Amino acid sequence: MTPDAPGTLDLDKLFAARLQAARARPYLATALFALHTVESRRVPTMAVDRHWRCYVSPVFVDRTPVEELAGVWVHEVSHLLRDHHGRSDRFARLHGLTGPAERLRMNIAADCEINDDVFGDGLVRPEGAVQPGSLGLPAGELMEDYLRQFRLGPHTQSLAWLDCGSGADGLEREWDLGADGAHGLSAQERDAVRFRVAQGITARPGNTPKAWQRWAEDAFHPPQPWRELLGAAVRSAASGPGAGEDYIYGRPSRRSAGVPGVVLPSLRRRPPRVSVVIDTSGSVSDAELGSALLEVSAISRAVGGRRDLITVVPCDAAARIAHPLCRAEGIPLLGGGGTDLRTGFAKALRVRPRPDVIVILTDGQTPWPETRPPCRTVVGLFPRRRENPSDDEDDPDYEPDTPPAWARVVVIG
Amino acid sequence: MTMCTAYATADAPSDQVHASQLDVAAELLTLLRDATTEPRPDIQLEALTLAVAADLPVLLWGEPGIGKTAALTQLAAALDLPLTTVIASVHEPSDFSGLPIVGDDPAEQGVPMAPPDWAVRLVRAGRGLLFLDELSTAPPAVQAALLRLVLERRIGALRLPPGVRIVAAANPRSSAADGWELSPPLANRFVHLQWTHDHDVVVRGLGGTWPRATLPRLDPARLPEAVDFARRAVCGLLTGRPKLVHQLPSSETRRGGPWPSPRSWEMTLSLIAFATAAGSSREVLSLLVRGTVGDGPGLELLASLDRMDLPDPETLLADPAGAALPERGDLRQAVLDGVVAAVRRRPEKSRWDAAWALLVRVVETGAPDLVVVPATTLASLRQEDWDVPASIERLAGAVSVSRRADQAADRVAARAAAVAAKAGR
Repeated sequence: MTPDAPGTLDLDKLFAARLQAARARPYLATALFALHTVESRRVPTMAVDRHWRCYVSPVFVDRTPVEELAGVWVHEVSHLLRDHHGRSDRFARLHGLTGPAERLRMNIAADCEINDDVFGDGLVRPEGAVQPGSLGLPAGELMEDYLRQFRLGPHTQSLAWLDCGSGADGLEREWDLGADGAHGLSAQERDAVRFRVAQGITARPGNTPKAWQRWAEDAFHPPQPWRELLGAAVRSAASGPGAGEDYIYGRPSRRSAGVPGVVLPSLRRRPPRVSVVIDTSGSVSDAELGSALLEVSAISRAVGGRRDLITVVPCDAAARIAHPLCRAEGIPLLGGGGTDLRTGFAKALRVRPRPDVIVILTDGQTPWPETRPPCRTVVGLFPRRRENPSDDEDDPDYEPDTPPAWARVVVIG
Repeated sequence: MTMCTAYATADAPSDQVHASQLDVAAELLTLLRDATTEPRPDIQLEALTLAVAADLPVLLWGEPGIGKTAALTQLAAALDLPLTTVIASVHEPSDFSGLPIVGDDPAEQGVPMAPPDWAVRLVRAGRGLLFLDELSTAPPAVQAALLRLVLERRIGALRLPPGVRIVAAANPRSSAADGWELSPPLANRFVHLQWTHDHDVVVRGLGGTWPRATLPRLDPARLPEAVDFARRAVCGLLTGRPKLVHQLPSSETRRGGPWPSPRSWEMTLSLIAFATAAGSSREVLSLLVRGTVGDGPGLELLASLDRMDLPDPETLLADPAGAALPERGDLRQAVLDGVVAAVRRRPEKSRWDAAWALLVRVVETGAPDLVVVPATTLASLRQEDWDVPASIERLAGAVSVSRRADQAADRVAARAAAVAAKAGR
């Protein structure tokens, strides 16, 4: 596993640190042991590549105490487990970012994502580790969120030496052994290691911090952007058979001339009618509601719904966001009052002609209709996590009704 | 007329130029089309070939214009099947369910549904590769007719012969303008393959060198072994994890994708057998398995295959000196855990000694921190009349690594206690 080449790299110290890291974080042991160490004098400290090799500077190992090295091990392996190189590549492609400066920014953002919750509890924070706080950013966010919030400047000057390798930001380094080099893990092996770690965490959730549990849940199903999901749900609801376009016999087909005496169906387009029911009774913020509502109307227009075919039904008297937005969008407002979503359904269905699709925007703290409404239903759900369980002391067993199975549910935000 | 001739005679050179202009253009086109190929492993194409060979309907998910048709052409050549491409979006439902042909007395003889010409040709040939392109841009009624073709293999009154293989292509949900979606029952019948382009391949191809994939060949000698392996793999996993047999996708994210059911496990079984008989890599198998039962169950299956690959603890204990240990640290640890567990199950002095010998070999050929936990457990299994083997001296390196880790942990704890005390005061 380790090169026998004589060098000044103190392997025993390095492996003692790895052992301490594995003892402090048993659920990461598989990943820590899967790393292949490579001695390198060009690396400033320790760095990983996307093939799960860990490049180590002998000088850095010499001057760093074992307990700090343990923290660095966990830090580096976190980059790989959280797929920071893949996410950096995707972010760079999406936003057209090029150049080493942007990659440095990604390295910093990735470090912030890791460092805010990885240390403590038996692990020491290595000297000079970036914290979101030191950049004036809130803790607990994702790398992508951090990337939108800071630029390189005088306050990041001290971080310019920082280099966690291509495994952290996707930019190949000159010391990288590359895909064809020895002891690299193939894509399938990388997935297998990540999967085993995630499985270990979900099997014993009590022993792991929240952040790692969330990672384990999403490791192989990264949450998709809600806009795409909501778009796909509304589009498929509005263009499925029975709504939107389909074959009808009301008009002769263009092929009828070829088959005299036969009535063939022809393609005909009927724009779908979409009703948007907005639940404003919950603690849904205006900004959340506004962006979701804009999205729905944009999607329904894209599938051919004209403005007059989109109806907005606010399900509360205090629909302050719905009014100006709908006036600006030219969407007619119908009804009002009531905090029970069932009345919202009833109101939307009472509109003639009946809607093809009902889109509900709600935070889910409401009773749902007993029976399936006679049209397709898409629920845009604003997630409400109970941050502090002691808030619900009166009724610890209280669980709001989940949306019924007949609705397609998209979690927003 | 005369004018014309005169003109032509007068400008004979220019006419010649005109004719040769086309020749020059043809020459230029020939140069442009003149590309060489180079062998290059292509795991996407290999996976597709195996799934088609296994006679399972494949659905390629990919953006338009990334070479799905080119891949199908190569596949058809490799399997020696004539390729028929049908662009779904330019057809009507009747093209797939049959065009009504009115005879003399419809009330008496009925209206036969005539199949389109390509279907007739396909049936007459008895074999071929049918590629249904752009499934996602076809209207819902056409999609419905196409799915009957894919699943029941019927076009109008015709039934496709068994020698015809079907591949369909669709745009991913996020880029599909009109939201093609599979309902869970339909999604369960397909092998889903994500078709992506490789940047290097495209750039090199435009530079004149396209890849030539060497496609898998089934080895007739390995067939019984392959079936046996596939059955052991799938049954071994599902015996221990009954929950994995059937899991309808619940979340919106996983909708329209692969999910596990007895049907898709059966498909997985034949895919494992085909991949084994062809000697394909784990990468190819991973694409196929995850595209059939989904990521989670697929990865569990692959993990259990990895465990099947690890050396058997009993073999290692029988011959610790000749043991072949895996290189990777995490796999080594899994092997050592297995060995210690085997000793615990049947504690005998000779097995205990063999386990120590194995640990010594591990320390001498790799990182010492791996053996600390197995060594501690093994030491705790000692019985009173067992003497500590002499070879244990050679584990000194591991012991000192362990001691250093302990000391570091103590320092961390002391520091944390100091911080807490300060905060408390």
